[in-house]
Order: sequence, then structure tokens, then C-alpha cells
Amino acid sequence: MNLTPYEMVGIGAAVAAILMVGSGHLRVNLTMYALQTVLIAVETGLYAYSKHEDHFYFVAAAIFLVKAYGVPRFLSWIIKHIEVRSDPGTVLPTPLVMHLSIILFGLSYLLACQLPAPGGHVLVLAGASAAISLVFTGLLMMLTRRIALSQIIGFLTMENGIYLFALTQTEGMPMMVEMGILLDVLGGVMIAGLLAFKIKKSFEHIDVTQLTRLRD
Amino acid sequence: MKIIVTSVLFVLCIFWLPLVTVGIIRKTKARLQGRIGASVLQPFYDFVKLWKKGETVCETVSWMFRSSVAINASAMLVLSVFVPWLSFKPVVAGDDLFLVLYLFALMRFFTILMALDPGTAFGAFGASREACLSMLVEPSLFISLAALGQSVHTSSLSAIFSFANTGHLAAVPIWFSVGVSLFLGSLVELSRMPIDDPTTHLELTMVHEAMLLENSGRNLLLAEFAHGLRLVVLYGLSVQCFLHVLVCVLPLTSLWLGVLSLGGIFLLGVLTALIESVSVKLQWKKAPEFIAYGLTMSLLAAVASLIEGVQL
Repeated sequence: MNLTPYEMVGIGAAVAAILMVGSGHLRVNLTMYALQTVLIAVETGLYAYSKHEDHFYFVAAAIFLVKAYGVPRFLSWIIKHIEVRSDPGTVLPTPLVMHLSIILFGLSYLLACQLPAPGGHVLVLAGASAAISLVFTGLLMMLTRRIALSQIIGFLTMENGIYLFALTQTEGMPMMVEMGILLDVLGGVMIAGLLAFKIKKSFEHIDVTQLTRLRD
Repeated sequence: MKIIVTSVLFVLCIFWLPLVTVGIIRKTKARLQGRIGASVLQPFYDFVKLWKKGETVCETVSWMFRSSVAINASAMLVLSVFVPWLSFKPVVAGDDLFLVLYLFALMRFFTILMALDPGTAFGAFGASREACLSMLVEPSLFISLAALGQSVHTSSLSAIFSFANTGHLAAVPIWFSVGVSLFLGSLVELSRMPIDDPTTHLELTMVHEAMLLENSGRNLLLAEFAHGLRLVVLYGLSVQCFLHVLVCVLPLTSLWLGVLSLGGIFLLGVLTALIESVSVKLQWKKAPEFIAYGLTMSLLAAVASLIEGVQL
């Protein structure tokens, strides 16, 4: 298989996500998330360059500003204010989660091989496996973490994966749709962040394993 | 003619490169701490001093104590001939990657025996930590070298690191992740900073230096030399990986490769000094988390070499 730089950037994003899962420190997680999103913005820019579709440059710039700069900035502000530094994790120790997500990376390659190519196009195999791996990695992060903030980061990683899949497999979505999704993500992160803030205020912790029982 | 020149150069490198690299690490650390520091050649003077000094050996030790240092040093010399850590290393038959990894394990075994033999508490502490660390770091070294071997379909190290058939862009991820994995692994293997602080004076927390506590004089000289040689061999191996990445992007002549492999070792030494100056020693509990990153990079290389079927 010959890899182009375009596909390598996509795989780089998946690798950044895998490295993100391996650390329990929320700040490291946020930095790696920002790196992964920057790579996805670069991927969008490369797509615009190769297909000569200028409006994707705007999408790339918006992703960079909103998801790679704005969202990590906001979340790190929240981390500072609720005074939670690291996530002990549940179910599995964090290094093992990282190794598990590499196995899922291999699995996502096998899955991508099974996918039917959309009519008239050639399936971008590396892009598809990177995208599916991003979704798996985000899912693993949401499943194995204790702190609500890590779940937000895991969710954002899954969102990145779905975006990457749409970008690499189709001709890209219309700009209005991309912008709408970006706005939704921003709104979602804002609400989730403020909710984490409120939960911390009323329960004195944001441990999701202890939020299973209802009370008055 | 060329082979004679490179062989002479290689043998010279075995003897002066460890000392200079250790000197560079010490000098960089001193400058970063705002001191002028000893000269880069200070390890040479230290060796001369140790050579002249007498030796104090504990009364209770057996023959194992002194012979294991000699075994270690000779195993390390054999390794330095087998491992392709410089681009101009002469090719020797039998440099199998499994043999090389087990020779490293053999050295560790004898270092641990040497530390346990005098029966001091500090040595035993260091030995138990070394055993634990080596157990954790071995999979990453194995998997990363095996991933390279898988993609070339051979287990001979000089065939893997021969700069033949490079130029594939697809080989870049494998070489890069193996290089990072080997560097992280060698930080652990050499008990350098994030795992162990080699300059601390608290024997309770040290790993490698605690095991050498009972050595003195020429014994200490041999042990230090073996450790220095292990440092340059491991760093050199990871530099070779990065050089393969470079060769995939732009072709280089063999003269440049030789210069860059020497420069790369010095650069990694400076990088080590930087890491040791800005970071603190990890909690012992956190060490597996650090080592897991090395294993991750090697697993990524393994996945890349397996699923892509890349020919290097």
C-alpha cells in the first residue's frame, strides 16, 4: 500500500488520539486532543489543495480556530476552576487502554477493508481506518474514564473521527453543513463544560461512577 | 582499502565515543544549571584516575562479583560489533536480532548477580528495581526490532539497517515509531532521568548506580565503560532509525550518513541532558505508564508492518 502525505496526516491524527488515551493527566489529554484536531485541520487544507475546492480552506481555518484552539482553551479554563488534575480511570489501567486502542486500530483496518466503496469512487483505505480508529479510541476513552471532563474529550475525539470519515470518503459536505456541525460542537462543549461545573459545585466531585443513583 | 579505513574508524569509535558522549551529557547539564562544568574530556581523566587507584573488595564476595564485571564488559564489546549502531560499521555474520536482545538480557543478569553478591541492602534494592524495569521494557525492544525484521523478512540486523531499498515514503512511519520506541526504551534501560536520577546521592532511589556501589578501582572502570558503551550503542541504534527516515525523504551519501550518525548520538545525548534538566524523576508507581508509551510506539510499528505489508 502506498501512502500519500494526505493519508499519513489522517493516520497521524489517529495515532495522536491513541497517545492521548495513554495519559491520565487532563492537561496532557487536552494538548494531545488539540494536536489531533490540528492534524485534522491540516488534512482538510490538503483536501482543499488537492481538489481545488477553496471553501474547504475556510472549513480548515474554522476547525483550527474553534476545535483546536477554542475548545481546549475553554476546557482548560474549566480544569483550572474545578481543580481536578488527573483521572484515575475505571475498569482498566490507562496504559492498557492505550494498547487496547492499538489493537482496535488494527481491527478498524480490517473493518475498512470490508466497507463497500461508494458508487464510482475508490475507497480511501487509510483514511477510513484512521476515522474508524478515532471513533473506537473516543469510545474507549468514554468507557474507561471516571471524570466527566475526560468523557467530553472522548466524545470530541469520536466527533473528529466521524468528520474525518465524511471528509475522506465522500467529496466533502457542503460548507453550510460543516459550519453548522462546528457550531453544534461548540455549543455542546459549552453546555457540557458548564454542567461539569455545576455538578462539581453541588456534589463536590465529577466522578461519573458515583452519579448512578438518583436522589432529591 | 575502504573497509580498512572504516574498520579502524569503527574500533576508535568504540573506545572514545562512550567517554565523549558521557562528557557531553555532563557538560550540557552543567551549562543548563548555570555552572561552567568540567571539560568534555573529564571522563578520560576519571578513567586514568580509576586505573591508577587500588581496589577495595568486600570480604564476603565470591568469584562471581569480579568476574561478572568482566563478563559484562566483554558481552558489551561483542554487542557493539553486532549491533549496527553506526552507519559505517563493518558487517559481521551472525548478528541476529534475537541473539542481540538476549545478550543484553545476559548483561542484565550478571549485573544483578554482581549487585546481590556483596549482600548489601542498597545493591539488592537496585537489583530488584533493575529486574522489574527490564521486565517491563523488554517487550518494547523485542516488538520494535521484530517489526523491522518482519517488513524486511530477515532477522539479521545488518540486513535490516543496510540503507538498501529505502526511498519508500510508506516506510517512514515504521522507522520513526521504532526510533522513538528505542529511544524511550533506552532511557529506561540505561536508567536515565524520568525513571531514575543517575546523579542523586540517595542510594535508596537509585537503580544503576546503587548496583555499582561496591565496585572500586579498575572494576568500577570496567563497569562504567560497559555502561557508557551501552549508552552509545542504544542511542546509535535509534539514531540509525531516524537516519532511515531521513534517507526516505532525501538521499544521502555514505560520508554524510557517517557524520550524521555520530552527530545524532551527540544530539540524543544533549536531548537526554535537556530532559534531565527540565523534568523530575517519576514516582516509582508511574514508571510503567512511561514505559507503556515506548511499548505503544513499538506496537504501532508492528501494526504498520503487519497490515501494510510494506517492503522497506
